[in-house]
Amino acid sequence: MIRTRGLTKSFRDVRALSGVELCVGAGEVFGYLGPNGAGKTTTLRLLMGMVRPSSGTATVLGMDAWRDAVAVHRRVGYLAGDAVLYDRLTGRQHIRYFLRLRGSSDMRHALELADRLVLDTTRPVRTLSRGNRQKLALVLALMTAPDLLILDEPTTGLDPLVQQTFSAILREHTATGGSVLLSSHVLGEVQRVADRIGVVRAGRLIAVEQLDVLRGRALHHVTARFDSPVGSMAFRRLPGLRDVRLADGVLHCDAPRSALDALLKEVARHDVRDFQCAEAELEETFLAYYGVGENDAP
Amino acid sequence: MRPSIGLKTLYDQRRGLLAWVLGLVGLVAMYAAIWPSIRDQPTFNDYLDEMPAALRSLFAASGADMSTPAGYLQVELFSLMAPLLLIGYGITAGAAAIAGEEDRRTLELLLANPVSRRRIVLEKLAALTAGMAVLGAGTALALLAAGPLAGLSLSLRGIASATVHLALLGVEFGALALAVGAATGRPGLSRAVPAVVAGLAYVVNGLAPVVSRLRPVRRFSPFYQYAGHDPLRHGLSWPAVLVTGGSILVLAALAVTGFRRRDLAA
Repeated sequence: MIRTRGLTKSFRDVRALSGVELCVGAGEVFGYLGPNGAGKTTTLRLLMGMVRPSSGTATVLGMDAWRDAVAVHRRVGYLAGDAVLYDRLTGRQHIRYFLRLRGSSDMRHALELADRLVLDTTRPVRTLSRGNRQKLALVLALMTAPDLLILDEPTTGLDPLVQQTFSAILREHTATGGSVLLSSHVLGEVQRVADRIGVVRAGRLIAVEQLDVLRGRALHHVTARFDSPVGSMAFRRLPGLRDVRLADGVLHCDAPRSALDALLKEVARHDVRDFQCAEAELEETFLAYYGVGENDAP
Repeated sequence: MRPSIGLKTLYDQRRGLLAWVLGLVGLVAMYAAIWPSIRDQPTFNDYLDEMPAALRSLFAASGADMSTPAGYLQVELFSLMAPLLLIGYGITAGAAAIAGEEDRRTLELLLANPVSRRRIVLEKLAALTAGMAVLGAGTALALLAAGPLAGLSLSLRGIASATVHLALLGVEFGALALAVGAATGRPGLSRAVPAVVAGLAYVVNGLAPVVSRLRPVRRFSPFYQYAGHDPLRHGLSWPAVLVTGGSILVLAALAVTGFRRRDLAA
């Protein structure tokens, strides 16, 4: 569905993206992760032919993303990062306008989607909340049942219930062979739907993983407060633990999921007054595993 | 293919267009209202004759007879105010077409559909032309009504020719604004460039009769195409229509080429 080769983009002298090799197959949901400013949006805009590659190629549905943009767009639903809409038009007017540009006038599917996302399509966009604008932008991307969805931060501003509906819609889309490329800066937002994820940092795609593999690696911040003094050696010997600190009867460490069992058992040998375990932010996990490369910003 | 983009552009402008038309009608009504007092003051032509030649050439088409309706309207309405308004609309709409929509970030929303950049440029230009036609028609109708109502009678041919040339002038500067916006994506620049060009073109055309060094370049001024042959009295000038129409087509081609080559602003 998507294949990029050496995809590189510079804006003036600033390199936004370097040699990205990305591949998304049919029926796959690919989560494109990275901190803000890492190049996620630039990648998606290259795939949509909004900007032209400085070098390398982007092929979408077998066509060149820049040269054949019109043909590509016929089969792609796109949600831009900031979901800007026409302030004065209502949801329905948006739907009718963009359907017409695709040579259709059948609003049923779009209104059905709006219903599922609990969106009032009769109000002008300027009166809608950020979350409702996002819903409308999603309806516009999804309504023509495209083969491929390219969604930039699709869950921004959606409440958890709507996020669930959105995940269900994505599953229906992939069940019929459709593909999805969605970006996010938070792993938590994509882990429910993505099959694979790619991590982009400072313009480079630094890792592509099956989500299952990644889940096992996600770091947890663990804090344990003990009633009695405890030696740190036993903890330092545990495999997989990172950044172990023990002072004044309080243990801090980072543990991947695979190390949690051993860690808990070791902790349980002592008298515990308090215990906390929280999944770390994606960015932290990736910093921990992939380090800071030569081209990375500090 | 239904011109949906152009139709939406016009739909967005519906209130603005109405305001422009009302403004033009009001302007015509005002000139019609003071016409009787000007007509009855034969000294007005003497006053014009006493103006310095350069000023008279700039602000009052030379040779116009203020005691006739055609001469009066040429000096008061068609030499400065009407072109100012229609060029104003043209520049506003032309800059809004690509650069304005890009600045508001909605252009990406539009381009995500299966529509080519060429189609967007051409439909927006068509919408601008249609809007200008509405303004021209409103002006023409107001002038027609001013005949029986205020005794400001002109030939139908004169009114039609003058407003056609007027609208073409507006489209020409609108197309320039659209082309600058399409090539750069910068709304400020796409308003500034045509405004400056219009100012220079106006001065060149106005001063050429009294400044000999400007004479050779006068025929390149769009204002010369617009009114050099005095359309209120002499009707359409087909060469002028062709030159202006040709310029618009060239600007449209430049707009398409410029827009297709560049990155959309984020």
